[in-house]
Amino acid sequence: MTDYTRRRFLHRAAASLGLLTGSWLLAGCGEKELTTVCPTAVPATASRTAVPATDAPETGVEPSPTTASSQAAASPTASSRAEASPTAAATPTEALSRPDLVVARGGEPEEMVRRALAALGGMEQFVKVGDDVVIKPNICVAYHTYEYAATTNPWVVGALVKLALEAGAARVRVMDYPFGGSAEQAYVKSGIQEQVEKAGGRMEVMTKFKFVDAKIPQGLDLQSCKIYDDVLKADVLIDVPIAKHHSLARLTLGMKNLMGVIANRPAMHRNLGQRLADLSSRVQPTLTVVDAVRMLMKHGPTGGNLDDVRKADTVIASPDLVAADSYAATLFGLKPEQLSYVSAGAAMGLGKSDLDRLKIEEVTVGG
Amino acid sequence: MAGKERAERRRRWTPEGWIRTRRVVQALALLAFVVLFVWSRRGGWPAMLVNAPMRLDPLAMLAHLIASRTVLAGSALALVVVGLTLALGRVWCGWLCPLGTLLDWIPLRRRRSRHRSVPEGWRGVKYGLLLTILAAALFTNLTLLVFDPLTILFRTLSTAIWPGVDQVVTGAETVLYQVPFLQGVVGAFDRLVRPVVLPVEPVFYRYSVLYAGVFLGVIGLNVIAPRFWCRYVCPLGALLGLLSKLSLVQREVNERCTECGACARTCPTGTIRKEDAYASDSGECTMCLDCLAACPEKAIGFPARISEPDWREYDPDRRHLLASLGASIAGIGLFQGNLLANRDHPRLIRPPGARENALLSKCIRCGECNRACPTSAIQPAVDEAGLEGLWTPVLVPRAGYCDYSCNACGQVCPVEAIPPLRLEEKRQRVIGQAYIDENRCIAWADATDCIVCEEMCPMPEKAIVLDEAEMLRGDGERVTVQRPRVIRERCIGCGICEYKCPVNGEAAIRVYVPSEGVGAVSF
Repeated sequence: MTDYTRRRFLHRAAASLGLLTGSWLLAGCGEKELTTVCPTAVPATASRTAVPATDAPETGVEPSPTTASSQAAASPTASSRAEASPTAAATPTEALSRPDLVVARGGEPEEMVRRALAALGGMEQFVKVGDDVVIKPNICVAYHTYEYAATTNPWVVGALVKLALEAGAARVRVMDYPFGGSAEQAYVKSGIQEQVEKAGGRMEVMTKFKFVDAKIPQGLDLQSCKIYDDVLKADVLIDVPIAKHHSLARLTLGMKNLMGVIANRPAMHRNLGQRLADLSSRVQPTLTVVDAVRMLMKHGPTGGNLDDVRKADTVIASPDLVAADSYAATLFGLKPEQLSYVSAGAAMGLGKSDLDRLKIEEVTVGG
Repeated sequence: MAGKERAERRRRWTPEGWIRTRRVVQALALLAFVVLFVWSRRGGWPAMLVNAPMRLDPLAMLAHLIASRTVLAGSALALVVVGLTLALGRVWCGWLCPLGTLLDWIPLRRRRSRHRSVPEGWRGVKYGLLLTILAAALFTNLTLLVFDPLTILFRTLSTAIWPGVDQVVTGAETVLYQVPFLQGVVGAFDRLVRPVVLPVEPVFYRYSVLYAGVFLGVIGLNVIAPRFWCRYVCPLGALLGLLSKLSLVQREVNERCTECGACARTCPTGTIRKEDAYASDSGECTMCLDCLAACPEKAIGFPARISEPDWREYDPDRRHLLASLGASIAGIGLFQGNLLANRDHPRLIRPPGARENALLSKCIRCGECNRACPTSAIQPAVDEAGLEGLWTPVLVPRAGYCDYSCNACGQVCPVEAIPPLRLEEKRQRVIGQAYIDENRCIAWADATDCIVCEEMCPMPEKAIVLDEAEMLRGDGERVTVQRPRVIRERCIGCGICEYKCPVNGEAAIRVYVPSEGVGAVSF
């Protein structure tokens, strides 16, 4: 009896060992595939030629990416589309009527987001039917409610979830990787979970193993980095920072908010400006919405004192990450070039920081 | 139909049916223990529910009562086990104790093998341990509760087994995630187990091999004799054994006995002996009922009646009592002579509110706080508190930080050794003070901006501020650097600065025990 079970145990052990070896082998294959996909996935200069085709407003219905593998296949087009929007806006024939950046002021957060997006030509410009959408708000700590302006306004995030679903997104996931307190607590404390779920989106906790090695071909300082796979694979990434103070970056805005999608953040602190720009060249959001409903004027990024909060009732939306950050800087009385990452991003051609040369539309909501 | 049902009922109450029932109860009790362990993490189930196993433990509750001189309403739960034991004997050990169940499941030696050669007198060891625990408790010491079976199992789960399982699962996920067609499945699995069962951020414990080793040692004793731990060492078993001497239901052998010895061969505690005409000691019997099934003559019964306590040679007497009293006095004398009794270890950072709460006379070493702490900042003390404070909670900032949005440790503590502070109170409580090591800090030593500690500081008025200073860099260039400075009055010692400090190895900003009158945020 004992012999028999022992032998069976050995058989099973051998079988599972074989299985493990097999998966290791397969893993090796997967890795190879990943590295070959990466360069094409990144919007290098060559891919710009293909851009107008994907961005053409033909309301062409894309096949909905249901499985993970088909998402992977879809990712190159997604990235190139992210790249496409500013380029398209610059072509005079089509985008004459459309602004590069919209500032909505006054009124409820949700209404400001809706009006700003409408002015940009509607969420349909960014989200196609069947798209897999990831929204990245700033939920950096689990310490305070949204009034303290350490985390993005829940209604701003909720409105974007609704708009994305209205535009036909297959699914909308919202995620961040807090540095203080756990993600699940931060999601609840910030109030974002409630609004996202009400809007029909899903909060997802960012898990360790999905931070995958990614090359940054355009990177001047940062050439590779562990980036969250779901963010890389999403068809549409919406970056929703809250405008707030930060001692090293001066302000944390759209580009700084992208630090939430990488694993090793201490490494970013040296040469922060350039490294943030490098990261942004790889993780290009399709749309950036800066939440300045409340601004944290000092003691950022954690906050905790209502005296440091200024209610500005402003929402900035733009497909151009650098432009959005540049405009947001002015809300703090800073010039865009005073932010090292904005200068670095503009120099790399990720977007425009010269506000005088941007077509800016101001929308006043309510009274 | 009715006849079948009756037959079913009769079958259930056969000896085999009883044993099957016992095994089911054992499995369920172990499962309940593990489930409550899993959900005792911050954000899990209510503290009153998840710490119930500890409050069921009469040894821990009694020792705490004696040492702390405080009566806690929640501790009354232990009376359930006391009542159960007075009625049915050591059923806790045989039917409910999760460690006992594991010892049953991993026998390491087949029960029917030749009889062990352990002298009967060894059974006295557990009584000695019990009396020493209780005598030491009189002198406000609870160190020996590290031998409590529930605390052993719970500590092993939180510091060794669960982190190990997490590492293995994460490793498997990482590997399998690279297989394209498995990504969906792995992602779905991950959402299922995290953050509920396994942590999102991996937790790390110091010396997890030590805890695993202690646990394996307890299990490994089974090589000498089945349930060696329960027979000879377990102090909780000793306490319940003494109560069982008075229990109503006791094993009895009637005149049908042919002295075949089948019961003696099957008894996992070895208390059925030929020398005693196959009678057993009710203080040793765990009511497992194995003998009931083994007896071919149906000569064994478990009637309920009041009987005289049967006192054996190995049972404690006055000599034992005096010896354990002497041992505890000697031990406490040694503890008090230790330097750590006079001067704190610089890194003895206690959970919020515990330092000023006579922790040593209250902590039952259950490890609930280790598990509840979401960052694994709370670790069992190994050297910081000396032998006296062995495995009491200590914050290790390099392992984790005290989360500004968390007060779970005080809530989950079953004996209020860590006081149940409200979150607002906890946020004010000073547990330590941060000090910058200017020899290693990036801003000072490398004349380079870093600011991570300031950025991470959770205080609304940051306890770490930045000063712009002109410095001479290594290459001789003059640069302006933002240098961190700690404001004593604001720092609560949460340790997030130390945890996040990007300097390799030991951090360049470290938290030390607070000095009297320094950093008095609240008191």
